[in-house]
Amino acid sequence: MMNPLKIAKQDARLYMSFMYVTFASLLVGGLMGLLQTLARSGKFTLPFNINYYTILTVHGVILGLVLTTFFIIGFQFALMGKTVGISDKQRKAGWWAFWLMLVGTVMAAVTILVGQANVLYTFYAPLRAHPAFYIGLALVIVGSWVAVFTNFRQLYVWKKANKGQKSPLLAFMVVINMAMWFIASLGVAASVLIQFIPWSLGYAETINVLLSRTLFWYFGHPLVYFWLLPAYMAWYAIIPKIIGGKLFSDSLARMSFILLLMFSIPVGFHHQLTEPGIDPTWKFIQVVLTFMVVIPTLMTAFSIFATFETTGRRLGHKGLFGWFKHLPWKDVRFLAPFIGMVAFIPGGAGGIVNASHQMNSLIHNTIWVTGHFHLTVATTVILTYFGIAYWLVPHLTGRRLTPRLNKLGIIQSIIWTVGMTIMSTAMHIEGLLGGPRRSNFSTYAGGDQVQSWIGYQMAQAVGGTILFIGIVLMVYIFIQLAFFAPRGVEEFPIAEEEVDAEPTPKLLENWYLWIGITIALILFAYTIPVFDILKHSPPGSVPFDWPIGRY
Amino acid sequence: MAKSTKQQLEPQHNPSINLKGTLIAVMLLGVFILATWFGCYYLFLSR
Repeated sequence: MMNPLKIAKQDARLYMSFMYVTFASLLVGGLMGLLQTLARSGKFTLPFNINYYTILTVHGVILGLVLTTFFIIGFQFALMGKTVGISDKQRKAGWWAFWLMLVGTVMAAVTILVGQANVLYTFYAPLRAHPAFYIGLALVIVGSWVAVFTNFRQLYVWKKANKGQKSPLLAFMVVINMAMWFIASLGVAASVLIQFIPWSLGYAETINVLLSRTLFWYFGHPLVYFWLLPAYMAWYAIIPKIIGGKLFSDSLARMSFILLLMFSIPVGFHHQLTEPGIDPTWKFIQVVLTFMVVIPTLMTAFSIFATFETTGRRLGHKGLFGWFKHLPWKDVRFLAPFIGMVAFIPGGAGGIVNASHQMNSLIHNTIWVTGHFHLTVATTVILTYFGIAYWLVPHLTGRRLTPRLNKLGIIQSIIWTVGMTIMSTAMHIEGLLGGPRRSNFSTYAGGDQVQSWIGYQMAQAVGGTILFIGIVLMVYIFIQLAFFAPRGVEEFPIAEEEVDAEPTPKLLENWYLWIGITIALILFAYTIPVFDILKHSPPGSVPFDWPIGRY
Repeated sequence: MAKSTKQQLEPQHNPSINLKGTLIAVMLLGVFILATWFGCYYLFLSR
């Protein structure tokens, strides 16, 4: 294991800039989430004639696309800076990435807030937004690509200077995640640049709806892994250090990331199982490929349990689960990500249900799906990000996570757990009873079935309110860690390998091989169905600004 | 690096670490996933 590098002040400023946008987004997006749950309870009318679909779009775009992407890129830059270093040129490129993404975010956000892009974060055609929305999103993606190639360059430079040595595990993981992001975001970029922008500007009269949705989900599923992999980075390579242990297996961690790269992209059709116009054979093939993701996910679960048990036993704890009781429960850097891990058990199990072809019809377009991704991204991922922020932010600002802030963090984690358990459980049950997602409150002309949903929507408002309290507390903790906590040194925890660890096979760093297999799988899963879509699609659709697109 | 330090390992370090708890935990995880899946499958069939 190489000795970690020191993060210079000017580098810390770059990484922190991404964090400021992350936590500002948390507050804005969280407030929109609160308003949504209140509106859907039927007991609250949105003030100032605000459109429900405006706040729904802000919530999805700001939290699903902006918060996540800014946190991930800032965190990954910090990991690269710490493990392989960053040059002046690379730092400048990092700033380009930041400003391009920020300008794009502001463009898209303003367009939504003035009611010109009520198209939700999936921006399905034929709903049309103002061109500024699509151009803003394109800038966010282009900015992220600058970060992608800067990270690639960072590892390349390190490898050249350290010939024959294996790359640091965290740098390897960052490059896998960025490779996945780049390959996947080509799909949505193509759709936005070739389909949406000309169509929204009026240069193209119609749009191929099925193609746009297919390109979106070619990107949309790996997007969720783009959120998840930084959490896995922490679980594999940072949490072991926090609990006083070692890396369980460098090879297993790398193999699991490679499998996630290969199997997270050629699987978008499992989001389109009810979509007419796609041959069921190809849906079936992509469902099978989706299920392959179970393998690296369970490898991760095994590795985490094994890390906990090995560490506990080495510290002398006996019995079948004696090691479990002695984990550092009072350390929020461990507790918050641990709750995230636990939430991934029902989250992952629900995901297997969603991706199962027939059972998808049970939950498709119901609020079960919303409950599902509030467990995965809004608990597993976000609590791990919070867990990272508790040490990363003070490390970068030269401050300390004090016992008081640690305690507040524990309270925050508990508030989040309570709020999300109430909200997500209510969403899952209401979804099984047929309650729709995406739509505003309605009694649907007094249907009997609707009556069974109302209580769960009230529960979601209660859960949403508790979660918003958690958000305010988290933003308070962030401000304290960034500006007011006492000066000092906070550790950047990176787990080391066991002294007697088996050497990692060189094959695991054969980028040509793994990216080659990834591209081959994508071509296999998408070439024929996309060709079918292009050849057999019905006439394209003219834009619709009504009922929710623009007003 | 790992290769060069391999000779230095202490004998008591390497031998089989007891991972019984891990085995049972991942088994329970598998059972939970299967129970969820079959629960939803039953619901699907019954509708």
